[in-house]
Amino acid sequence: MRSIRPLAVLAAALLVAACGPSGTAGSGALTWWHNGTSDPVKSLWQSVADSYHAAHPDVTITVDPIQNEQFQTKVPLALQSDSPPGLYQQWGGGQEASQIKSGKVLDLTSSVSGWIGQLGQAAAGWQVDGKQYGVPYDQHVVGFWYRKDLFARAGIGAPPATMADFTADLGKLRAAGVTPVAIGSKDRWPDAFYWDYFAVRECATDVLRQSVKTLKLDDPCWLKAGQDLAALLAENPFQQGFLGTPAQQGAGSSAGLVANGQAAMELQGDWEPGTMASLTEDKDFAAKLGWFPFPTVEGGAGDPGVTLGGGDGFSCTTAAPPACPDFLKYIAGVEVQTKLAAAGIGLPVNPDAASALKDPTLKAVFDYSRKASYVQTYFDVAMPTAVGQALNDAIANFMAGKGTPAGIVQSVGQAATGDR
Amino acid sequence: MTKPSTVIAYLAAALVLGITVVPLLFVVVGGFRTTAQVNTAPVGWPSPWVTGNYTAILGASAFWQFLWNSAVIAVIATALAVGFGAMAGFALSRYRFPGREALYGLFTIGLLFPLAVASLPLYLLLRQIGLLENPLGVAIPEAAFSLPVTILILRPFMLEIPQEVEDAAVLDGASRLGFFWRILLPLAMPALSTVTVLAFVTSWNAYLLPLLVFNDQTHFTLPLGVATFQSQYSQDTARILAFTTLSMVPALGVFVLAERRIVGGLSGSVKG
Amino acid sequence: MTRRLELALLLGPALLLFVGFVLAPIGVAAYYSLYDWQGFGSLTDFVGLGNYRDVLTGAVFQGAVLHNLVIVVLSLVVQLPVSVALALLLNRKLRGRAVLRLVVFAPYVLSEATTAVIWLLILQPGGFVDQLLSGLGLHALIRQWLADPRVVLLTLFVVITWKYIGFGIILLLAGLQGIPRELIEAASLDGASPWQATRGVVLPLLGPTIRIWIFLSVIGSLQVFDVVWIMTLGGPANASTTMATYLIDHGFKRYEFGYGSAVAVVLFIICFAFALVYQRFALRRDTEGALR
Repeated sequence: MRSIRPLAVLAAALLVAACGPSGTAGSGALTWWHNGTSDPVKSLWQSVADSYHAAHPDVTITVDPIQNEQFQTKVPLALQSDSPPGLYQQWGGGQEASQIKSGKVLDLTSSVSGWIGQLGQAAAGWQVDGKQYGVPYDQHVVGFWYRKDLFARAGIGAPPATMADFTADLGKLRAAGVTPVAIGSKDRWPDAFYWDYFAVRECATDVLRQSVKTLKLDDPCWLKAGQDLAALLAENPFQQGFLGTPAQQGAGSSAGLVANGQAAMELQGDWEPGTMASLTEDKDFAAKLGWFPFPTVEGGAGDPGVTLGGGDGFSCTTAAPPACPDFLKYIAGVEVQTKLAAAGIGLPVNPDAASALKDPTLKAVFDYSRKASYVQTYFDVAMPTAVGQALNDAIANFMAGKGTPAGIVQSVGQAATGDR
Repeated sequence: MTKPSTVIAYLAAALVLGITVVPLLFVVVGGFRTTAQVNTAPVGWPSPWVTGNYTAILGASAFWQFLWNSAVIAVIATALAVGFGAMAGFALSRYRFPGREALYGLFTIGLLFPLAVASLPLYLLLRQIGLLENPLGVAIPEAAFSLPVTILILRPFMLEIPQEVEDAAVLDGASRLGFFWRILLPLAMPALSTVTVLAFVTSWNAYLLPLLVFNDQTHFTLPLGVATFQSQYSQDTARILAFTTLSMVPALGVFVLAERRIVGGLSGSVKG
Repeated sequence: MTRRLELALLLGPALLLFVGFVLAPIGVAAYYSLYDWQGFGSLTDFVGLGNYRDVLTGAVFQGAVLHNLVIVVLSLVVQLPVSVALALLLNRKLRGRAVLRLVVFAPYVLSEATTAVIWLLILQPGGFVDQLLSGLGLHALIRQWLADPRVVLLTLFVVITWKYIGFGIILLLAGLQGIPRELIEAASLDGASPWQATRGVVLPLLGPTIRIWIFLSVIGSLQVFDVVWIMTLGGPANASTTMATYLIDHGFKRYEFGYGSAVAVVLFIICFAFALVYQRFALRRDTEGALR
């Protein structure tokens, strides 16, 4: 009789350990910081959290929507503390690499290895030194959004495939009294798309990869990118006063100009139709929009199949409960991805959800991105934050008439060595 | 007041009113339009007048929650700043002690550093004393950063009050502190009202501190609440304008109340 | 109660709050300035005064200092007379002056973010301001208000003036209350015109308040950030960068907390130097005046 007691106690202890919550402070409680402060994203993420909780009652998710720009302030602070949120918005690239230095970002490589391959190329942007530190939930591609009606008015049959065609089209649009290209230079990052794309067209894929890694832009193709940009600027493609135009706020923004038919095209990401929707009373504007990839450059060593893009994702921190990677799997799964695509929030990373994209132009953009041989993340995200910002500033200054192509290249080297 | 100068005064007033009020009208009237209207014609009257923005905001409990949070924090911050500031101003003006000017200078130093720079150490401090996600975590630092302006303004005003008034009070048997409470403070009412308004408005519009301290939306103050109308790629401009107009009302209310004390309080001399 | 105890009671709370929540964090921030630090992990890369050297030799920062000085001078030359005139105006018995005061003060209450949104709408090319100027026949005055590097700083100054004038006015109104009516009446009885009475009696007595206004205005001009940041981000091409926008842009936004803190300390030293000189020469009279 007496010998059964210790066994019973042991058995009970084992049972408790196997079935009960792990008992530590972070068990089952996940704090989630995402940037969907307004609908439809806000309700969507809330329903995702609710569904996951319904399926996994031991995991409670606290959802904290945080305004997009505020992440830059809040994340470094949170990673300084002992209790950062379990899950937070992550754009990958150099910023992610900096955040890893805090030691609080969770290495997901082993926990996601089973399913990350599904997402294909997209996941590469969230890897640092081959290790997965974040998982994307949507992807972005940058290209030219154009007004089919304005192109028709200017007598342009098909969108330009080469830079030479593009320059010719600029002339045709001006002759028809239409502002050819809108750009939101006030915000600086739209300027970067141009230089980034010229670099992507001039530089071979290996050079791109290597240079971003070493932060040394020694190859002459980088210089050519700046020269191409200078040539484009000489054609006077933009709206008057473009240096003071914001990108997305108000009808006077570059997106607003295209939405209201006051400019013929803009080089922007796939979010452009969504941005335009609230900037115009024209209910039909989406039907008037088309998309074409950035034209190829004569003599460029770049692979024409390479596209510039990025995406949104999430990272888990070391304070997260064990369920965090599983939650990421849920978000990357077909069910959630379909909801995202249907809500027009972005291009899904899960190819099985692509059919849910309603807008035919967006579908075309998605197909194009799937076929891309390589997706180059915009350099200000791919490179460490300080370097990326310095590059953007140099490009913006160049667009404003200050600086040289060589100066743009130098800004990266200088910022990389901490030299200001 | 001769007639011509009064006419000129009215003309000047009209000019000032015109220049100042036009942008303000944009904000107030803008809330009665839809964002699409604002974008199609930035300058223009609502066509049609849309009350949806205002009613949606006032009808949602979130706005009142933000309003309450802002009010609680602003009242605490103002009370602390003006209360402690008045006491310190009194000490720095009516007492003489070694290091007085240096102390006054020390308080002034707080003006010379933007809050943003101290944000990281402040965050770490608040975390350490457990004031994160707590209104006091915002109100107390706000009060601390309002102290320099408060003391800077109150002290000269308190210095101006003639020594005779103080001597008379002492002769009547009042203690120094009694003089402070019963005579000096009422006399300094214009200055006190001014610093009250300044401290309140500063707290009301504060953005960075609440941003650092609050993650939970139910704790947000009004300036943080605007974020709910902005997404990564767009913003609901008309709703933001309506929200801002409503946010201004309490702060303007405090101004109206205080303004009476600033100018309507005591006219005439302080002598006697 | 002993005098010592009274002093401790009166000064204690303010000092405690101030030292704990203002001075201490500032001190720590200044400590960061000696390091090359991205805000992650611990402080390991000591660079001593290296950050300061980079700050002071940088062309963009030097330009920023210049822009701040321009704003300081403009605020003294433009805002001061306008504020005093308006305060005098709003002190008179005008009908509806309470409403007028409210309207003049309201921009100060408006958040900076919304101020920028509104003015961006108004200043759009072909927008309200341009239409107004055309309508008044002043077409030749139209510029690219925010895109032209030669004009952008002035445009921002107008917006800043619009926003902060109310603050100065309530301060000056408070100061005007302390001026005894009898003095003004006596002056006019002596045959002085209203303008002479103002110049000879009111303005000198308003002196202390004006000197406080100047102090706060200069410090505010040296630290101006919000309006500039939201309207132009310091652009185009650093044409409107101020020391504070430079601090955020090249410091914190790039996760360079050490460098940003160094910029802040330099900004602080500039403000401090001004404060020191100003206190010594301008405010000394005020403090000595009431001492007996």
